[in-house]
Amino acid sequence: VNRLHPRIRLLWIARAVLFSAVLGAIAFGASRVLPFAPVDPTLAGGIVFGAFAVLSVTLAVLRYRLWGYEIRDDSIYLERGVFTRVRTVVPFVRIQHVDSSRGPLERLVGLASTVVYTAGSRGADVSIPGLTPDGSEDLQERLKGLAIRAEGEDAV
Amino acid sequence: MKLAPLSIPYRAVQRGISLVVTLAFVLFSTSSFLGPLGPLASVGVLGLAVLAVVGYEVAYYRRFDYELTNDTFDVRSGVFSRRNREIPLRRIQNVDISRNVAQRVLGIAAVDFETAGGGQTEGSLRFVTFEEAKRLQAEIARLKRGTTEDGEPVPEPDEEELFALADRELALVGLLSFDLRVPGLLLFVLSGSVPFVPAMLPDDTATLLGIAGIAVLVVGVLLFSWLASAVVAVLNYYGFRLTRTDDELQYERGLFQRYDGSIPLDKIQTLTVTDNPLKRYFGYATLQIETAGYSGGSQDGTARGSEAAVPLASRERVVELANEIEAFGEPAFHRPPKRIRRRYVVRYLIALGLLTGVSYAVSVFLLPDLPWYATAVALPAIPIAGHLKWKHRGYWLGDDHVVTRNGVWNREIKIVPYYRVQTLIDSRTIFQRRWRVATVTVDTAGSLSILGRDAAAVDIERADADDLRDELTDRLRIAVARRRSRRPRSMAAEPADPESGTTGPEQPAAVTTDGESVSASESGPTGESAPSGDESDEVGNGFVFGTAIESDDEESKPDDRAAGNGESASDDTDTTRDGA
Repeated sequence: VNRLHPRIRLLWIARAVLFSAVLGAIAFGASRVLPFAPVDPTLAGGIVFGAFAVLSVTLAVLRYRLWGYEIRDDSIYLERGVFTRVRTVVPFVRIQHVDSSRGPLERLVGLASTVVYTAGSRGADVSIPGLTPDGSEDLQERLKGLAIRAEGEDAV
Repeated sequence: MKLAPLSIPYRAVQRGISLVVTLAFVLFSTSSFLGPLGPLASVGVLGLAVLAVVGYEVAYYRRFDYELTNDTFDVRSGVFSRRNREIPLRRIQNVDISRNVAQRVLGIAAVDFETAGGGQTEGSLRFVTFEEAKRLQAEIARLKRGTTEDGEPVPEPDEEELFALADRELALVGLLSFDLRVPGLLLFVLSGSVPFVPAMLPDDTATLLGIAGIAVLVVGVLLFSWLASAVVAVLNYYGFRLTRTDDELQYERGLFQRYDGSIPLDKIQTLTVTDNPLKRYFGYATLQIETAGYSGGSQDGTARGSEAAVPLASRERVVELANEIEAFGEPAFHRPPKRIRRRYVVRYLIALGLLTGVSYAVSVFLLPDLPWYATAVALPAIPIAGHLKWKHRGYWLGDDHVVTRNGVWNREIKIVPYYRVQTLIDSRTIFQRRWRVATVTVDTAGSLSILGRDAAAVDIERADADDLRDELTDRLRIAVARRRSRRPRSMAAEPADPESGTTGPEQPAAVTTDGESVSASESGPTGESAPSGDESDEVGNGFVFGTAIESDDEESKPDDRAAGNGESASDDTDTTRDGA
């Protein structure tokens, strides 16, 4: 099973911290505005920020540990998920197209994702984050080749 | 070809009424400010508005043109921004005809052409004569059948009636279809008036009357909504008939609004047999037929999902029918492990506990007399409920199909051909892991699966889930291979073109018609949400990366692929064309 690029942790952790910071700011603002603030606003904001940061960073690290993908003979196999562990199998014959995409944050840390589309209703679910740009393009090429071969093989 | 001339007045009235009424209201309420000339000016403006609407509809009619060619259905339309659309016939999944009462009096009909890919209708004609609509339906079916080797058209296959809804069954459909949303809505609306009634009466009688009133109200609402649901169901399914030709199912139904549609057999993704305890007791069931991304020919929401289905028939008949469409045989379900019943019991106990907690809180804070412990009467039912839930679950692997079963109140038996499997998703929640079980969901391109109603083997042993995943992948591969070897080949795969295939949704070759500039038609409304709709008769078989892989003679050309996706209609010209 292939792991994601370790740097994806940076991205996820950054996201988690950002998310907690927003929540902390909201808590800070709320306890400032509310007339019956039970605690000092700075303290409230800090506690909320700290609690969520610890939680979400732990989650991000766990998510990295549990993420894995594998290119098998006739399918892509992914496993991921902290609370709900999901394993997805996408047979090559079902691949409609493969995207390689790089969001702004991903570009910042120099990573890319590969997204695999099927005609199924959950098609867009299948995305592999945390690849190097080259890796992502390689994977895309490779999947493309495999998918075409899957078609060609039986096309006798 | 032009639309029916009668569509001009119909559309003008349909479109104009609300506009004119609003305008009239605004004008006449403000006309007093305009002095003595006010009313005159108002009438003038109104007249202009009416002229504008009629003028627009006339222009729409004049600028609307459609044509059925040998391999495409072309529509040129648009008053201000023009749109040329060509839908390859092979991609058309359904041709639906619908007529409401007024349209039937005028002898016109709305025709919708569905291809796979999203809930949107790819082509629609508003409106043509009913004869023309039937002609188009028949003609498209004929053209899709193609010609025999000597160039003779394939003779029209014999039509065989699969099912017709008898009057007795129609009545039963009405009685058994109880839409739970109706009473909820009614109660919500009516509950506002309850507190006021007792307030006007003396205290003693008030409580009694209040309780009696609420009881009467509830019963009344239930009766009324039952009746309403029954009437809706009867209107919807009046005169239901399902017929089968060689390669298509055709249905018609409806009393006032008449629906008339066709479902190509080779586009069917999933069959669903549903029932509820009442239907089970009386030995009835419902059959739903899903095609890829098909939304059931509805604009108004009265026809939800794939109601191109058998609304009610005896259980044996439904199973027989389903077997006629997809020969899956006689399923022998594997149930989840028995210990899982305890999980359901625990789950229900927690729910009951919460409910009791809520009612206790209510008794403490609001109503001191409330017997909050009354929820305990449900306690004995819990083990039974847990057992039933377990009993009605199961999955089975047949020769060519995987069959799953779930639900007690609304039991769904889903029949998915291996050939239609898209992806397999094995998920284990934190609670499922404690009970050492897993859920395997079989994703298809069917329309109901978009609503999360996929076939799923729920709460099976983990080892079984692992096996099931692999087994289904294997069987899909075999099914695809078998299917291919049966079909004639014309060309080997062309070499892939590395240039055009690098990023995502392939850009189909655009074809310019009547000299207007065409950009490559966009694949899908957004690049990403496109679980994209190009279903050839086998979804996702034609694999393309900007390169034509001629997997079989006439299918999976890249250009075709835009057909399902071309609905991003804002472009000046939106042309998708069969490249042949």
